[in-house]
Amino acid sequence: MGDLKYDLIIIGGGPAGLTAAIYGGRAKLRTLVINKGTVGGLVNTTREIVNYPGYAQISGPDLMKDFKKHADSFGVEFSRDEVVSVNFSQEDKIICTKKRKEYMAKAVIIACGSEPRLLNIPGEKRLQGSGVAYCATCDAEFFEGEDVVVVGSGDQAIEEGMYITKFARKVTVIVLHDEGVLDCNKVSAERAFQNEKMEFVWNSTLEEVLGESNVEGVKIKNLKTGRSSELACQGVFFFVGMIPSTHFLKESGIGMDSRGYIPANDLMKTDLEGVYAVGDNRVKYLRQVVSAAGDGATAAVAAERYIEELNAFNTSVLKNDKQVLLLFFNALNNESLEFSTLIEEANQELSEPYKVVKIDTATKKNLAQKYDVKIVPSVVVLDRGQEIKRLDYSMDKEKLKAQLR
Amino acid sequence: MSLEQLNAIKFEEIIYDNLESCLVIFSRKDCHVCKEVVPLLEELQPNYLGKFGFYYVDVEEDKNLYQRFSLKGVPQILFFKEGEYQAKLVGAVDEDKVIDKIDEVLES
Ligand SMILES: Cc1cc2nc3c(=O)[nH]c(=O)nc-3n(C[C@H](O)[C@H](O)[C@H](O)COP(=O)(O)OP(=O)(O)OC[C@H]3O[C@@H](n4cnc5c(N)ncnc54)[C@H](O)[C@@H]3O)c2cc1C
Repeated sequence: MGDLKYDLIIIGGGPAGLTAAIYGGRAKLRTLVINKGTVGGLVNTTREIVNYPGYAQISGPDLMKDFKKHADSFGVEFSRDEVVSVNFSQEDKIICTKKRKEYMAKAVIIACGSEPRLLNIPGEKRLQGSGVAYCATCDAEFFEGEDVVVVGSGDQAIEEGMYITKFARKVTVIVLHDEGVLDCNKVSAERAFQNEKMEFVWNSTLEEVLGESNVEGVKIKNLKTGRSSELACQGVFFFVGMIPSTHFLKESGIGMDSRGYIPANDLMKTDLEGVYAVGDNRVKYLRQVVSAAGDGATAAVAAERYIEELNAFNTSVLKNDKQVLLLFFNALNNESLEFSTLIEEANQELSEPYKVVKIDTATKKNLAQKYDVKIVPSVVVLDRGQEIKRLDYSMDKEKLKAQLR
Repeated sequence: MSLEQLNAIKFEEIIYDNLESCLVIFSRKDCHVCKEVVPLLEELQPNYLGKFGFYYVDVEEDKNLYQRFSLKGVPQILFFKEGEYQAKLVGAVDEDKVIDKIDEVLES
């Protein structure tokens, strides 16, 4: 299974994943992007992008083609497949896919973005494709001259709603908030209020989609009065927000917030060593293409350093002809600094039978974990990677020397 | 292998004259969900050569076809057998669903 071993595997091929791939490929890491569906992710659903630097105006799919081409030029490999489970508990991370492949990677970047949230109300699922829709670009045209309901009031709901008015006779937007309050940006809100085909139902939510084989109407619930009413229509578009596509990671032990977003630090590191989270699937302030790309770059560089350290450790420690003293210390702890000087001296006075490798437990938690080191200072003696003993702590040089002979 | 595209005339011929057991995906070029489902059908197609047909209709080019089945969205996969409409799959379906449906139609 040697051909399924990679330095870096990126799960998800949206802007975050593709940027990470560009940096990974350029750093000469053997890099694989596993992406279900079309490369480019959510951006493929966007007709027009006007806020990606350097492109005054471009369609989402065109921008993503450029990203993909760029990644291809650095030799990145792609697989159209879906990751269904992972095992991140070992140094070699294991990734299993729907096409029943098992991949291994030294570092993993999670860039699987998010997907539309379902309201899970009666009729929503049953009438999908028969009037219930989630993509205006795909389906607006099917509602030529008909009445359409849009649920939600964020940027996407209002902008897609206005696009639908090009085809539909009337678009009724169901809004949770008080009259005049929309979640979208001000420019879109003003345009929407001026659009003669747009109507609004305030303080309300959808309770049910009605219809036998096609949508015939909706049941709307007013949240202020608690009363329900019916509205006839032929189509319902849902834009009620996104949820992160991180469900396949539930068993992996990776930290997530209650909604499924993964917290990551400013290096995009998650709470698991060698695992990074980038783009829309992490806890963050701004979810856009440019910030997704920024995340991807950071994570790939962090992953590259991590892999470099891993490789360096493997050659200097695990494959060394000499026996190795793995000295775990903490730079903030004076006692462990003094002890480390003493160890070096003792080793020198014995004309260096050992190679001393110092490990700061504050930054190398994974190694402390791997060797089950709970207190500093600690010394593990290795012979070709195998632990042969541990030294007893002592500030008496002669006692140390005795243990080293 | 890309799917054979049908226009209204070809559609008549294959479904109603030849009575072929087959599926037809109604799709359009700028629909991202379609772009996920079409390649999946292209991959499956070779497994069913001579047993079950795979076809493609572009709803922009052949409006009358989707109107005839009063479809309200793409992608939709319609299944036919002996000149009769059998079933449909809507939206972002996966391989297993398509395989199950083909088996169902073939066995019915
Ligand atoms: C309607 C709309 C309009 C927008 N307009 C703009 C705009 O104008 N400008 C802007 O900057 N941003 C815009 N955004 C936001 C932007 O699209 C996102 O911030 C961006 O796409 C996030 O990128 P990502 O790489 O994190 O995730 P995504 O783009 O969501 O990509 C994730 C990829 O991972 C894949 N994936 C998921 N799970 C798995 C799995 N288990 N195995 C394999 N692959 C998997 C998905 O199929 C997808 O291809 C818009 C978003 C929407 C919905």
